[in-house]
Amino acid sequence: MAAEGQEKLWDREVKDHRTYKDIRIFTEDQLKKAASTDEELKAFKIKHATPQLDELEKGPWPSVISDVKREALHRKKLGQDNLMIPEGVAEDLLGVVELAYVDKETHWKHGGIIGVLGYGGGVIGRYCDAQEKFPNIAHFHTIRINQPGGHFYNTDYIRGLCDICEYRGSGIMNMHGSTGDTIFLGTTTEQLEPIFFDLTHDMGGDIGGSGSNLRTPSDCLGMARCEFACYDTMDMCYDMTMSFQDELHRPAFPYKYKFKFSGCPNDCVAAIARADQSHIGTWKDDIRINQEAVKEYVAGKIPPDGGGFAGRDWGPFDIQKEVIDLCPTKCMGWDGKKLSINNAECTRCMHCIDVMPEALRPGVDTGITLLFGAKAPILEGAQMSLVTIPFMYVKKPYDNVKEITRKVQEWWMEEGKNRERLGELIQRVGLRTFIMDVLGIPVMPQSIKEPRSNPYMFFKEAEVPGGWTRDIKEFRKKHPL
Amino acid sequence: MGMEEIKKAIVEYLSKGAKTKVYFNDILHGVKKTIPDAKLPEVKKAATELVREGVVEYFSTGSTTMYGLKGRGISAEEAGAKTE
Repeated sequence: MAAEGQEKLWDREVKDHRTYKDIRIFTEDQLKKAASTDEELKAFKIKHATPQLDELEKGPWPSVISDVKREALHRKKLGQDNLMIPEGVAEDLLGVVELAYVDKETHWKHGGIIGVLGYGGGVIGRYCDAQEKFPNIAHFHTIRINQPGGHFYNTDYIRGLCDICEYRGSGIMNMHGSTGDTIFLGTTTEQLEPIFFDLTHDMGGDIGGSGSNLRTPSDCLGMARCEFACYDTMDMCYDMTMSFQDELHRPAFPYKYKFKFSGCPNDCVAAIARADQSHIGTWKDDIRINQEAVKEYVAGKIPPDGGGFAGRDWGPFDIQKEVIDLCPTKCMGWDGKKLSINNAECTRCMHCIDVMPEALRPGVDTGITLLFGAKAPILEGAQMSLVTIPFMYVKKPYDNVKEITRKVQEWWMEEGKNRERLGELIQRVGLRTFIMDVLGIPVMPQSIKEPRSNPYMFFKEAEVPGGWTRDIKEFRKKHPL
Repeated sequence: MGMEEIKKAIVEYLSKGAKTKVYFNDILHGVKKTIPDAKLPEVKKAATELVREGVVEYFSTGSTTMYGLKGRGISAEEAGAKTE
């Protein structure tokens, strides 16, 4: 049972489900009154002239400027008495962005000593450097919120989040940040703790990672909706998030560290391009082939690419041109009756499966490929992550992955320079050191920089049978010159 | 060596030097100069404890996080001070 006064913290154990009714801040009546009609929006003028921003409302696409103007009117109608930070925050936001367009430089400054007690991440301080002109956005801090797995929200939860953001922040959210978090854009220092309380105690959520932390882990929707998922991404992402809470909230890494979980090699969360530790679903056995369905694709009875090519006549499906010839390792064949795959040569590019999903499926002996070291190009150039362990079975409680993760993180914390990503450290000391000395695993042919080329593993003499020594006379017999 | 000893070494390290905000790695190496067999998890635990006690505070740019002694160097108020 919960400690006295903290009962709400444990509500989830008592109640099965929490509804919007339990957590809502605004009444139905307040929200109805604050809703605006198109006429009201058209007539509404914000207090700053924004001719350059107004240009962004023209054209065929939805405009963020129109959204912020709508929010400005919404806050006006809600009234300052119902809001914890200035009502005019959205208007001042538009004002400062217009000014930045005029000056061609930013009026924000980032960083500082703000956050919630005991946490070193999840809040990014932002201040306006033109506070006289835009007093409502003097503080405009960002809060990163740990998103639900696979970005599955129920309406109760998302409405609860919107209420908190409106009441204690600017009402402007980013769905979602690049890393995957739900983001509250703009609040004051005074509202950080109350937001954290509402989010954790009332909503059962948590804030995410920023700074030298484990960043908010993210995953694809995996087995919830995708037939290609080779493991339960959402369960593993949640489990790893809970296991590495200390790393997520108390920054002690040299720089950021990202976990990403993709259910199959289509890699819908782009783990291979972004995550220091990528978990990408794969299979050990053969691609499952339904030869009858292949014939139906060839006969034009099933649309290829899940019907993705629509809107004009793309011509008849040509399996040779669109599948067989595009296989990067040329491991497929079609004789007009039967599709064959040399599975040992398959590099899991997923193209054939994506084109003919009803005919081809990943194998059934599934697990993950564990990769390390991807990063965007901030310090050195961008790097893709490296196949480190070609295949691992993953099952709750994922102890095999956690053990490797701890080993890697500890090594990086000891050896990494400040602001050096894991991939850069691996590059600096060499992959041999990482794989053989740090992880203590044997070198594998899959551990190469690019498939079928460029092996980078160097052996020590003791590791090679017979060593380097050779009988020069014997050698010269075969190589006289 | 105990937690109190490591905490003392951290505070000492953060009290001297020109830089008022440092990375965790700097703290780790600083502590190891005084207590060579201090382990990384122990130093992290001690630093976290000091943050909880309000002696040390985080300073984050958003992309990286540093540690500093509360009251030394830029303060929370200064970070958001009016600039006009």
